[in-house]
Amino acid sequence: MSLSNTSKLSAYLGLGLILVACGGPGADHDQPAASDTLAVDTPPKETELISVGGSLFSIPSPVQAALAIRKAGLKYQKDMTAPLDKVDAVAGKVFQSSLLGMYGADMAYVTVHKDGQRAMATMQAIEKLGSKLELSNSFDRSLLDQFKSNLGSEDSLLQFSGKAFRAADQYLKNNQRDDVSALVLTGGWIESLYLTISDPAAAKDAGLMARVGDQKNSLSSLVDLLESSDKDRSATALVAGLKELQALFDKIDRSYTFQESVTDVAAKTTFINSKSTVDIPAEQLEAIKAKISTIRNSILA
Amino acid sequence: MRRTMLTLSLVAAIGVQAQEMCQTIASRCEKYITSQYIPDGQFYRALLQGDEQAEFNLTLFGGTTYRVAACSGDTDGVLQFTVVDKDHNVLFTSKDQGNAPYWDLAVTNTIDVTIEAGLDPSKAGSGCAVMLIGFKK
Repeated sequence: MSLSNTSKLSAYLGLGLILVACGGPGADHDQPAASDTLAVDTPPKETELISVGGSLFSIPSPVQAALAIRKAGLKYQKDMTAPLDKVDAVAGKVFQSSLLGMYGADMAYVTVHKDGQRAMATMQAIEKLGSKLELSNSFDRSLLDQFKSNLGSEDSLLQFSGKAFRAADQYLKNNQRDDVSALVLTGGWIESLYLTISDPAAAKDAGLMARVGDQKNSLSSLVDLLESSDKDRSATALVAGLKELQALFDKIDRSYTFQESVTDVAAKTTFINSKSTVDIPAEQLEAIKAKISTIRNSILA
Repeated sequence: MRRTMLTLSLVAAIGVQAQEMCQTIASRCEKYITSQYIPDGQFYRALLQGDEQAEFNLTLFGGTTYRVAACSGDTDGVLQFTVVDKDHNVLFTSKDQGNAPYWDLAVTNTIDVTIEAGLDPSKAGSGCAVMLIGFKK
């Protein structure tokens, strides 16, 4: 998200004063808020509220990648996921945060392939890592319990996971830890691409290859996110690796043709019918595969 | 010194108050990402004033139905959002749907879009904008 007008501190102080004067959230009694068992409500540690000057973008959910892999009929390979013992070996904000994102992507992958045992073990690793990153409010014992009692329901597990990561993202942004938020997203994105592209059979699936090519903008967003949030320059090497990957993605051809959307008001749905194509030369695919593997290994090393 | 302390205290109070307001709005917005939809795992928000627009960039993958929920203020319909493609063709705008707080986007082919969100000037002059996204399996 970015703001088109230049933001001024005075304007937001004014806004804040208005909010204080209006009584803030206490004024809303007509519509009770839905309770989210995974939501966090921890007081902010610092006074600065929300960064509005930078750019924030949406990164595709790892669940979507996992579903695409399953749809393509690729063989489930548990060994492709990140080793769970890395939770104790990896140190430092950059690697721990990235690993948390990687485990999130792995959990989606093992869940949609109905490996409940591995999903549970992965969630335990996430809880442990979340604790190290002071995210216990989002990944806690109650989440593990809910997870355990719903192991047979893929939909429930994906819901729990999505809500937990959203709660963590909210908590991190509330506490001015946008750097960790960006690193978690980055880890999830790296792992999703790795899982998608590493099986040689993936290259034979046109839909999956198109999805790889369609990551071009997401990668660009990730690089922007990381660069803008990496105030202590601790993620410089990771950013450099992603920029090398970006150079490879730049050689992918994508085309787009606009077509009118159609809206079904009753169903509150708009059908977006624009066309797009993507073409990844074989040698480009191999180069991307090698590069993503190198970046992933640098996190796990 | 006293003036500095007063200013810092005021800024701290403002920060906490606005933070709580965003939290309340987020909780209200979450109800629109119903159990049919898987949350994308991210939380998006911005403080808006006047005619400021928050621009939110994302890739929508083909064959997927997304639910976009956009909330601000104390009630539904305060935040308006418009989905445009890279050439700024309008794909959807909630202004045509009574400022609906949520809408589904059924995507045939993968597309990069921008969601522009702004306050309805007839309903609010400033506020916290929260956007949540989910998708169907």
